Amino acid sequence: MAGMESQNLATEAQQVRVNFTSSEPDLQLPEGKSQLLVPGDIKRYGLSRVLNSGSMLNTSSPVPLDFLVNGTFLRGSLEDYLKENGLSFETTVTLQYVRSLIPPVYQGSFEHDDWITGIDVLSGGKQRLLTSSYDGLFRVWNASNQIIATSPSSSNGGHSAPVKAANFLSSSQIASAGMDRTIRLWKYTESDDFTGQLKPTLELYGHKGSIESMDIHTSSGRIVTASSDGGIGLWSTSKSSAPEAPASLLPGAGVNVSKKRKIASSAPQRGPLSIMQIHSSPASAAIFHPADSTVAYSASEDHTIRTMDLTTSLVVSTLTTAHPLMSLCSLPGISSALLAAGTTARHITLVDPRASATKTSVMTLRGHKNTVTSISASPENNYSLVSGSYDGTCRIWDLRSVRAGSKAEGGGSVSDAVYVIERESQRGKKRGDVPGRGCKVFGVVWDKQWGIVSGGEDKQVQINRGSGLLAN
Amino acid sequence: MAGTRSSLKRKAPPAEAVVETAFHSDDEEFGDGLLEGVLEGDSDDSSDDDGDDADIDEVNADLENEEEDALESDDIPTDEEDADGKNAAEADDGPKYRIETDANGGTRYVYEDIVPDYDSDDTDAQEPVNTIGNIPLSFYDSYPHIGYSIDGKKVMRPARGEALDALLDSIEVPKGWTGLTDPATGKPLNLSQDELELLRRVQMNEVPEEGYDPYADTIEWFTSFEEPMPLSAAPEPKRRFLPSKHEAKKVMKLVKAIREGRILPYKPPEEREKDEEEEEQLFDLWADEQQNPPNIDRISAPKMAAPGYDQSYNPPPEYLPTEDEKKAWNETEPEERAKEYLPEKYDALRRVPGYDQFVKERFERCLDLYLAPRVRKNRLNIDPSSLLPKLPRPEELKPFPTVTSIEFRGHEGRVRSLAIDPTGMFLATGGDDGTVKLWELKSGKQMDSIKLSSDEPVDAVRWRPGKDASILSAAVSEDIYFLVPSYIDPELHQASRDVLDAGFGYATHSQQLMTASGARKDPPAKWTRPGTRLEDQGVLLKATVRSPIKVIHWHRRGDFFCTVSPSGQKSSVAIHTLSKHLTQIPFRKLPGLAQTAQFHPSRPLFFVATQRTIRCYDLQKQELVKALQPGARWISTFDIHPGGDNLVVGSYDRRLCWHDLELSNRPYKTMRFHPEAIRAVKFHRSFPLFADSSDDGSLQIFHGKVTNDLMADPTIVPLKTLKGHKVVNKLGVMDIDWHPTSPWVVSAGADGTCRLWT
Repeated sequence: MAGMESQNLATEAQQVRVNFTSSEPDLQLPEGKSQLLVPGDIKRYGLSRVLNSGSMLNTSSPVPLDFLVNGTFLRGSLEDYLKENGLSFETTVTLQYVRSLIPPVYQGSFEHDDWITGIDVLSGGKQRLLTSSYDGLFRVWNASNQIIATSPSSSNGGHSAPVKAANFLSSSQIASAGMDRTIRLWKYTESDDFTGQLKPTLELYGHKGSIESMDIHTSSGRIVTASSDGGIGLWSTSKSSAPEAPASLLPGAGVNVSKKRKIASSAPQRGPLSIMQIHSSPASAAIFHPADSTVAYSASEDHTIRTMDLTTSLVVSTLTTAHPLMSLCSLPGISSALLAAGTTARHITLVDPRASATKTSVMTLRGHKNTVTSISASPENNYSLVSGSYDGTCRIWDLRSVRAGSKAEGGGSVSDAVYVIERESQRGKKRGDVPGRGCKVFGVVWDKQWGIVSGGEDKQVQINRGSGLLAN
Repeated sequence: MAGTRSSLKRKAPPAEAVVETAFHSDDEEFGDGLLEGVLEGDSDDSSDDDGDDADIDEVNADLENEEEDALESDDIPTDEEDADGKNAAEADDGPKYRIETDANGGTRYVYEDIVPDYDSDDTDAQEPVNTIGNIPLSFYDSYPHIGYSIDGKKVMRPARGEALDALLDSIEVPKGWTGLTDPATGKPLNLSQDELELLRRVQMNEVPEEGYDPYADTIEWFTSFEEPMPLSAAPEPKRRFLPSKHEAKKVMKLVKAIREGRILPYKPPEEREKDEEEEEQLFDLWADEQQNPPNIDRISAPKMAAPGYDQSYNPPPEYLPTEDEKKAWNETEPEERAKEYLPEKYDALRRVPGYDQFVKERFERCLDLYLAPRVRKNRLNIDPSSLLPKLPRPEELKPFPTVTSIEFRGHEGRVRSLAIDPTGMFLATGGDDGTVKLWELKSGKQMDSIKLSSDEPVDAVRWRPGKDASILSAAVSEDIYFLVPSYIDPELHQASRDVLDAGFGYATHSQQLMTASGARKDPPAKWTRPGTRLEDQGVLLKATVRSPIKVIHWHRRGDFFCTVSPSGQKSSVAIHTLSKHLTQIPFRKLPGLAQTAQFHPSRPLFFVATQRTIRCYDLQKQELVKALQPGARWISTFDIHPGGDNLVVGSYDRRLCWHDLELSNRPYKTMRFHPEAIRAVKFHRSFPLFADSSDDGSLQIFHGKVTNDLMADPTIVPLKTLKGHKVVNKLGVMDIDWHPTSPWVVSAGADGTCRLWT
């Protein structure tokens, strides 16, 4: 008998002792069942089957599970993991199981006329998509791939230059900003599901450079913008509370401006609440503090992230990173709120904005091959985010998966992308030596209902499934 | 006996000497020493002889004693001496005398008669001994006796004369008769057979002793055989191993004789004659050679090395090459081999083949002796790698551009020139399609495209420096267009327009120039409006010069700019004043074809590059400051370091030369890293970086750090080669520009694309 057993062991894979843990309360194992002896060549699917069996979790319907070993997802077999890390088969492997990750399945594309610079979504009652474009227009889409409304052209009171950002202030109000240095507020009304009207309500002047990014705070009616002249603007959305516009910046201020450039504007013109010229290089992004409308953060190409107190328009603190920053997003974070900043050096730096933080960079997300232009936090959990880059991909990151950075990466904590979303428009095309040639992603938004919506140089809005991508 | 002798002495000491001489004279005949020894040896033969001998002995002994006495005291012996003698006799035998009183009453010793028994010692006194002492016998010629015996009796003269002769004749001659008279006894001296034999041997010069073998076998006390263990520990004497001087002398004599021709090899006489007849016609090749002046550096030809073990036909096995070594030897080129032969082993000398390299080797040796200059050269034995400066690794010099971030597509045909605007937001490019395109740098979006010409390419686009206005200048053939981008804010737009229009008031002034002959001189440039079509697109001003412009460079203040039109002969370099719409030709004549020109970034200096030199002029003093010689055959481009003291030059012959203006007219460093011509070179305005672009389609990024320390050399480290542009018609990257604040570079490719490298 003993001889037969040893023969079995030799032919089959070696047994590995595993210890299952979980942080999910509804998926806890019964007492005393967390330790198990499993064959070494078992993979994720097998482990998930084992845990879903009647003797273990005994769930009504099988829950696909994923397994974290020492902070990284188990992708091959257990055996491979042990060999890679030089561990003995005798060691007990602690497997943290989480609900399985589902790849962000491609769901559809919206064809556009020009490069898409920014995307915003409206979910809840009505599902609406707002895209801004280099053609100087922004468009409102419904969920069935139809344009409901298009902003007027420059001759009809629209933007005279590419629109870099457009946001829903509410379901009936839209703010747009662009390279013509103005922020325009629009009243948006829908007669039915397929047609909508846009009526300009306010034009805000104040920046001397192109507006690169805009963030809105709906409840207080404030807008914060970042401009390429290095200034951060704070604006009011209400006509009454906004100060007068600086005359020199208004169109037509120049004496000899040719007549074609003169734009008859019907909307009232207002100025900023304040313009903070705090960056020495173009500011690339400005966002509100997620909880506090009087605090804003700005990122700039001068490598800094500045925290501003909006009531006094003063810089509270300055965080200096190593690279020019191109995008900024606030994350709830696992333990504390973080700022994710995309750099031109092809990675995302996670920064702890608190003044008490000991080190600037908490973690680096590496994997992009080009400038990271847009970041959006997951609406479902506090540890995942999606980023869009000039390399033509969106990448989904899980902050729980951490490894130590190599020397070439500059050390620190490094995380790799969990999923990479390629552009559907580039499917089947040969990739050149320039990452993301012709398919740069300029904007990405992760919404509960819409999923992951991204748009860019390929003039397409690409929608990928966004819910349940990362296990809770 | 003792007493007798002593008395004898007392009586006549001088006579003794006479006797002695007589004895001596007698003895001389026989050879004193030899005879004595012989006699002694034969002492046992006869008792007679013994007695004689003893006497002689005693006499001798006495003589010696007497000499001693003479030294000690007077001639007269004392009684004590006698008493001593008596005592000694008494001590021997007891008293042999009695004491009586003589007639005078004195004591008298009366000796008892000697009884001639066997105990008595009278063998010597066998015959009466003549006691006359040393008196010549001739004194007794008249007497019948010849003296007196010891008893006082007459010793009678022996019979002699004719009677006796007759008697003697009748008597048989006794054996041993000599016919001599014994001088001591006066009797005929008889010699025994042995004595005669002895005398014969002496006479015959033979060894006197019988039985002595003069040729006895050598008793080898020291053997001639060399023993393993020598009997003597003495070191080998030096003479054993020194060559014989004597032999050397002899040989040298022979050698000298041979050299002088005194000794000649033997030749048959007829052959010798023949030789003498046909005297060889030899001539000295170096007869008229002049001796080289003595040179301490001159060294004589080296001697050929003596063959070693490995050149033996049967070398020890450790000298034999292994298979690998043989293979390696065979594979290397003959010139590069460490040894010219391979050691080979033959078990016998007769198996050794002929040496196939012999003639070649001799020939080469001769060549070497004849041709090789024997001059001592001071060779520096320095590791070349130690001479290289310690350069930091490129990873430590980050940031610098490494990858393409954005590709700008849109131009048809090659992109000839590009520039990033002073704010770093926009990129302007000009290409063969005659258009100037404006791009948003960070996104790669084309913002504007203005067609300046339908058939002429845009050769140069440059932004006016300074952020107070945003003006782009573009050169198309002879025209320079000035345009203001449409997307800038109205304030800036207005400011830019004002800058461009400011010169219209001066334009007429420049046309007032007259030549010496009074004819109106053609102005070097015409400043006009470009026409409504272009004005609508933002092109607000046009300046036309005489010949096609290839290069524009703006002065840092934004008021002056220079243009270079290489084909423009005298007016190839022009300096324009934008605020006055004024064009000046600073050089009446340029030594060479102008290639490019630049203003110094901080001082009023102006640099003009011709094909081979870069001249630096002082604009205020209007004089040449210096001329740089980069050593390139055709300079294509150069750029001045923002610090103003360094300059980097690119050339069509692939050279990149770094000049230190303070240091020398020659380049501090010349780099040839590109396989094709260098088209553009640019310094970054704030980072210690510079880049060049080449027709091989690549850019090279260098770290070029200049310190304020005058003693420190600039650090130049090649960082990265950026490849990506395609080579079209042997043209690669036409132009590059750096981002004003970030370490990013843009490149204009002949393939119609531009790239932003971050």
